[in-house]
Amino acid sequence: MSNPWIAIGALAVVAVLIPAGMIAVSSLLRPTVPEQGKRAVYESGEVPTGNTRIRFNIQYYMVALLFVVFDIETVLIFPWTVIYRDAVANAGLAKALGPMLVFIGVLVVGLGWAWRNGAVKWVRSPRAERQRVEQ
Amino acid sequence: MATTLPTWTALGPALLLGITALVLLIVDSIDPDTSNSTLLAGLSTVGSLAAFLFAGWLLVSGTGQPQTGGAITLFDDQLVVDGMSLFFALIVTSVATLVTVASHDYIADQPYQAEYYSLVMMAATGMTLMGSANSLATGFVSLELASLPSYALVTFLKKNRGSVEAGLKYFLIGALSSAVLAYGISLVYAASGHLQFDAVASAVANTEFVGVLGIGVLFVLGGFAFKTASVPFHFWAPEAYEGAPAPISAFLSSASKAAGFVLAFRVFTTAFPELAGLAGGPVTVDWVLAVEVLAVLTMFVGNFAAATQEKVKRMLAYSSVGHAGYVLIGLAALGGAPDKGFVLGASMMHLFIYGFMNTGAFLFIGLTEYWDIGRTFQDFNGLAKQAPLASVAMTVFLFSLAGLPIGGGFFSKFYLLAATAQSGTWILGAALIINSALSLFYYTRVVKAMWIEEPVNDFEIDSYPAGIYTAVIVAAVITFLLLPAFGLLSPSAVTGAAALF
Repeated sequence: MSNPWIAIGALAVVAVLIPAGMIAVSSLLRPTVPEQGKRAVYESGEVPTGNTRIRFNIQYYMVALLFVVFDIETVLIFPWTVIYRDAVANAGLAKALGPMLVFIGVLVVGLGWAWRNGAVKWVRSPRAERQRVEQ
Repeated sequence: MATTLPTWTALGPALLLGITALVLLIVDSIDPDTSNSTLLAGLSTVGSLAAFLFAGWLLVSGTGQPQTGGAITLFDDQLVVDGMSLFFALIVTSVATLVTVASHDYIADQPYQAEYYSLVMMAATGMTLMGSANSLATGFVSLELASLPSYALVTFLKKNRGSVEAGLKYFLIGALSSAVLAYGISLVYAASGHLQFDAVASAVANTEFVGVLGIGVLFVLGGFAFKTASVPFHFWAPEAYEGAPAPISAFLSSASKAAGFVLAFRVFTTAFPELAGLAGGPVTVDWVLAVEVLAVLTMFVGNFAAATQEKVKRMLAYSSVGHAGYVLIGLAALGGAPDKGFVLGASMMHLFIYGFMNTGAFLFIGLTEYWDIGRTFQDFNGLAKQAPLASVAMTVFLFSLAGLPIGGGFFSKFYLLAATAQSGTWILGAALIINSALSLFYYTRVVKAMWIEEPVNDFEIDSYPAGIYTAVIVAAVITFLLLPAFGLLSPSAVTGAAALF
């Protein structure tokens, strides 16, 4: 009776050997042509401007955070809508609808606060504005 | 009783705090550009004071306690309200009230005040819920609800490098220990198949996965060690307490620590008691021994590090680590104790009194930061001439922290010592005495600087902020009153603790 872990171990060994072997074989076969373009920062084919430590606009994170609010909301509302009719029939309208309204209400307060504080207002970058004038 | 409130109102303290947080956000949404600091501080003080009074009323009227039919469980046993959860709700809400009163002056010139108070209220909600958590899942979620606002609050002074650095360190260690705790919970779930504490307790009684369970229990213990600032996850505490705004240091070192302890108490006494043979069975995973080692290490590391500090706030931070060690006695001395409720109750009383004396001491530091007189012991020289009332209060706090009979800290340390004597864990008792003697040395340095030394620098105190003064004086009066009134409160702590066994 063989231990099933032997097969898993063999799979792990193969998983390490294949990429290691590919790198080793290609380094034996390929010609070596060092060139400037190969060492440059890769920016999807664009000519790189500046190094990797550039600053992103904070706005991207605000949008991402607001997305999380809606994302979690959706995840929790979907199963609720599926069983909503049964829940109303079994537990009554107040017990089926009330908690979800409270939940959405809490999220609305948070969203309203973020909106009023300018989280969805697109901030213009002063640096980008300057560069546009110069060109 | 003629009428009984519906059972969900037993969660009233947590609900009131949460509603206050939302109301503060709504107030800020109406006019985001200006902040009326008196209105905001007033709202959050009213909210936390209402939660405090409600928790006190529930505790006095016997909600969730044996005389009215035992613990109230809600949401399919996920939350529980009993004597212990109400007792800790009292601690958290009283600290939150003091902190919001003091913050009024401390952050008067800062932007984003509504967010500050709202985050304090949300963290307090999470801490109150930690006392009511009755399953590992709700425990973890409420712990995160307490932690995430705390990270933001530590970095509240965005332009201050110390504050930002403290927040980064706190967040990184917090994220690590959250991961450790979640992994420990997953291992316990793997071994028992349950998350609810009682179900875990009955499932692990005769489990075959002792190894997995043992690692899980140790990881859970590590996660709580972070929240309570105990060795080996105490490294964040001095940095975070020193860099954070002083009211937030007070909040974290008192309320957050108490909340971490209540969750640890409940998990270890209701979910894992039989592993350590507390119910009389064989010992499989001896977590009592592990806590005993941690308690002794925490006491010594905290107090010896505090004795070598040059800055007062950092000294208080390390002394807060040392006090976590004292409180850990409540779990560590459970092994041979005949009256387990007394042992755990002694720890709860120490946390309650610590909530006032330590909050007060950090708020006094906030007062000195408000006056901008410097951070080292020498900078406090001659302070008593300029601010005698606040210096008297600080003296009460420090001597009570050391365990002298000038505040409630004397009796709570005495109870802890009695608990170690009762269970025969002499090493804990010896460590408690040695460290209390040592702590008297470094607390006295501050008192000596304030009252005896001549001032080195000339400083003029031109304003006496009403909010911080009120909070400091109230904390000092209560610390002092808890000396004669200790006997009034300790029965509720002991019965609350005894209900767990």
